[in-house]
Amino acid sequence: MTARRQATTWGRRLAALTWKELLQLTRDLPLLLFLLYSFSLSVLVSGAGITMQLTNAELLVHDADHSPSSRELIHRFQPPYFAFAGEIRDPREGLRHLDAGRAMLLLEIPPRFHEALMSGERTAVQLLVDTTNAPQGLSAAAYTVRIAGLFGAERGLASAGLSGATASLPMVTSAHRVWFNPTQDERWFQSIAHVLRMTTIFAVLLPAAALVREKERGTVEQLLVSPLSPFQIMFAKVLAMSGVILLALSLALYGVLHPVFHVPMKGSTGLFFLLTALHVFTTAGFGLVAATLAKNQAQVGMMTLFVVGPMLLLSGITSPYESMPTWVQAIMTFSPLRYYIDITYGVMLKGAGFPVLWKSVGAMLLLGGTLFGFGMWRFRRQFQ
Amino acid sequence: MTSLTASSPDPVVRVSGLVKRYKQHLAVDGLDFTVNRGEIYGLIGPDGSGKSSVMKALAGVLQYEGGSAEVFGTVVDSERAAEHVKPRIGFLPQGLGLNLYPELSVEENIDFFAKLRLVPEADLRERKARLLAITRLDRFRGRLMKQLSGGMKQKLGLICTLIHEPELAILDEPTTGVDPVSRRDFWAILAEWQSAKGMTAIVSTAYMDEAARFHRLSFLSHGRVLASGTPAEVTALVPGLVVTFVSTPQLEAVARLKRRYAQVEALGPSVHLFTPERDAGAAVAEIREVLGDLPLEHLHTNEPELEDVVVALLLKEQDGQAGLSGRSGQAAHSATISQSDGLAVQARELVRDYNSFRAVDRVSFDVQQGEIFGLLGANGAGKTTVIKMLTGIVPPTGGEGRVAGEDMRTAGGAIKERIGYMSQAFSLYLDLTVLENIRLFAGIYGLARRQAQERMEWIVAMAGLSDYVRDRTGRLPMGVRQRLALGCALVHNPRVLFLDEPTSGVDPIGRRRFWELLSRLAREEGVAILITTHYLSEAEHCDRLALMYAGRIVAEGTPADLKIQLEQEVGQLLEIAVDRPGVALTHMLAAGFSGAALFGTKIHLLSRDPSRDEARLREVLAQVGLSVEAVRLRMLSLEDVFVSRVMALERAAQKEGQV
Repeated sequence: MTARRQATTWGRRLAALTWKELLQLTRDLPLLLFLLYSFSLSVLVSGAGITMQLTNAELLVHDADHSPSSRELIHRFQPPYFAFAGEIRDPREGLRHLDAGRAMLLLEIPPRFHEALMSGERTAVQLLVDTTNAPQGLSAAAYTVRIAGLFGAERGLASAGLSGATASLPMVTSAHRVWFNPTQDERWFQSIAHVLRMTTIFAVLLPAAALVREKERGTVEQLLVSPLSPFQIMFAKVLAMSGVILLALSLALYGVLHPVFHVPMKGSTGLFFLLTALHVFTTAGFGLVAATLAKNQAQVGMMTLFVVGPMLLLSGITSPYESMPTWVQAIMTFSPLRYYIDITYGVMLKGAGFPVLWKSVGAMLLLGGTLFGFGMWRFRRQFQ
Repeated sequence: MTSLTASSPDPVVRVSGLVKRYKQHLAVDGLDFTVNRGEIYGLIGPDGSGKSSVMKALAGVLQYEGGSAEVFGTVVDSERAAEHVKPRIGFLPQGLGLNLYPELSVEENIDFFAKLRLVPEADLRERKARLLAITRLDRFRGRLMKQLSGGMKQKLGLICTLIHEPELAILDEPTTGVDPVSRRDFWAILAEWQSAKGMTAIVSTAYMDEAARFHRLSFLSHGRVLASGTPAEVTALVPGLVVTFVSTPQLEAVARLKRRYAQVEALGPSVHLFTPERDAGAAVAEIREVLGDLPLEHLHTNEPELEDVVVALLLKEQDGQAGLSGRSGQAAHSATISQSDGLAVQARELVRDYNSFRAVDRVSFDVQQGEIFGLLGANGAGKTTVIKMLTGIVPPTGGEGRVAGEDMRTAGGAIKERIGYMSQAFSLYLDLTVLENIRLFAGIYGLARRQAQERMEWIVAMAGLSDYVRDRTGRLPMGVRQRLALGCALVHNPRVLFLDEPTSGVDPIGRRRFWELLSRLAREEGVAILITTHYLSEAEHCDRLALMYAGRIVAEGTPADLKIQLEQEVGQLLEIAVDRPGVALTHMLAAGFSGAALFGTKIHLLSRDPSRDEARLREVLAQVGLSVEAVRLRMLSLEDVFVSRVMALERAAQKEGQV
């Protein structure tokens, strides 16, 4: 009986605190607008705008041959990957264009190109690539190698009189099937990545700011003298903010990802939201610890920047986790985002379920519990 | 003319029709006043009455929308005009030591400001020695500013403001939160610089009891002047008498008197009222008639203080807006008189250290149920730390305490259910409405819905909040916020109430109303109230007091006991009104009246034998041709008690240091 009454009282207290957090958030119009923007328009823009694929690479050509062969080769550089930017007469002019950033690629075709091919001689073309933006430059070079290679092979076979009979030759061709993203739509990856970024930022920032604001205004003292445990005070914030973030996430999911980019949800939606809540809880732990160290909102903003910045860059959305040095990988085992990335792409695109994801889930639970425990310990200590 | 120097008016500052707006909020609404050379001019008023805006406009650091602010004949309306005036003024902004550099020592701070103002080396040495001596800071020359107490910081701030001998000093709330001893030092420097260097000063303050120190003053309310003139002129605006007496039962007496008089207060065990009747006999007869069968004992009649007058003026101003008096209170009568015996708080040898600094040093006291107990002291005296230890926010380093019958160290949760706490910051959620705040605290204390509803209605009625229930807390006036915070602290019917500086920033009427609520809580519901304040004039409301200084309790007792005790030790207070008080003081000191001091335009003297001293000083002053207008016996104030206790302790500590 008394245990039941205690439980009711406990629940009532938690409900009162959680409701207060939600009310306070609805009164903060600028923050609400920012939240709304981050999970709608901002997802749309980054899904449509951010791309790692080679598109519209400006191609200049110095054609010293002006022959059928040279024209055919040039024609193989096609949009959307390449954009023909014109022909130049002097190679030095081309270099100037590269220096000024007006072109990315300069293809030089030597004199007697056609003649050499026709007479069965070896010949070469030269490609100058601006690799200031390394990934783009490297893919441009790789594409060119493939185009020139294929062109050369076809001409070589043709000159040997074997055209049309390629199948009979001992050659290896790679026949690839694209899984999980069959149309190779890069917007899927980018828009999901952006949602993950926003979820993480708000999961750290919202509870941390809410807790520090109470310290700044002195209301936390009032909570400390009332019969509340540190767990209730902190958990109510995480609970309220998780709810808000899940709501914002469904806006991004059903307002942008599905209707605009046609991102599928192969796995269970319920599982995805449940694991997102786990991610928010774990990540919020960082924010709460920061909030117990900071004196005001400016400080907590700086601190979360230090935590969230590397987390976003190194957890595997911006660049593949596997390609990072091992010591960075070791540090990133403490990033909940690293597990959440596996979970999200797994559930949404691969239809993965708990049997595949249990390791990531376990790691997040462990991390979140530890952080929350440490935060609570700090919370009591900071006033003593 | 009471002015100390030049009798011909020579305006240094002329403000006319000044208007300052912050977005929609009108901070200064057509203000006019002039300050003559050699005057100490006071701007008095509650927070938000526009004092700071006026001062900033005069110092050339704030743009204003209308009217003009003229300093030394230059209208300060542009950067260039301000640059023209700045070398001749000194400005001390509001806030303790905000103009100083915490990482520099006392001397380095002074030197920095002197160099900034291009003060010649020889002048600097002489002025620095003199200012440090008056403020008794010379022992701390090498100490870093951040290690000074609040009062010392403020005195250093003043030294840095005066080091270039400005013709005009603009000082914004220089004494708020400063201990009474430092406050006296502060006024001493100002008086010295004014009489020796002919400096003019504009000083703003929220302390009514400082008003008598000004030559002339303006009382501001909502950006307008409510009253202005010399202290005597302002006091004469509302003629009447203040009557203090004891009548039991006190609450019944107050209730009956309230029907007739606008200003009735319960001060500890006695009743304090203001009557427009000028004749003492008639006034007492009228009070007897209103009281009916209730007794009337320990009667005193006094001339009204400035605060009584200001409250009367404010009430008049509010009458036009809304009938405010007596709106609260009917609800509380239904409450039963509960157990009002037993110890509510028991502190034994409480100690709290922060690293090497001892914030609270062996503090012991008891508070009974139904008693209002005051902890007085300056910022940093340790009052707040004592409350934080008793409420369980901070664990004590040593000693023990019992609150509401439980040991504070072992029974954390049980104590928390039975205490209410209201902090300096009022601890309200400003983005929530009044009702949402109350509901939140009802939820935090685990009240069921019906119970919460009942308490909510009780709080709204008790605190007079019915007009505000749906308003955002951030938009409420300070006085209303304060009553809401009290209501939230009472939501769970606590037996012990802790109030930490609950009246800072609230205007005099709001303060009086708040104290009325507290005395009803204590008397009717038997709640024990432990309150801290640095307004010593407010402490008169407490049943018992403890004065804290540097972490220790230096005196304890009822307000009357404390005063009588001091009177027996040092004598009674004579207030002497005289022509040219500055000159008179010099002659009095020369004739051996060693304790005499200037208090505004009057001289204060402590005397063990008032009649003999009065005769002797009349004789001394007559010899030099000064006419004594009046000599009056005054009650010692709690501030006098505080100052003399602390000075005695400081002297003892110094002697110890020398041995």
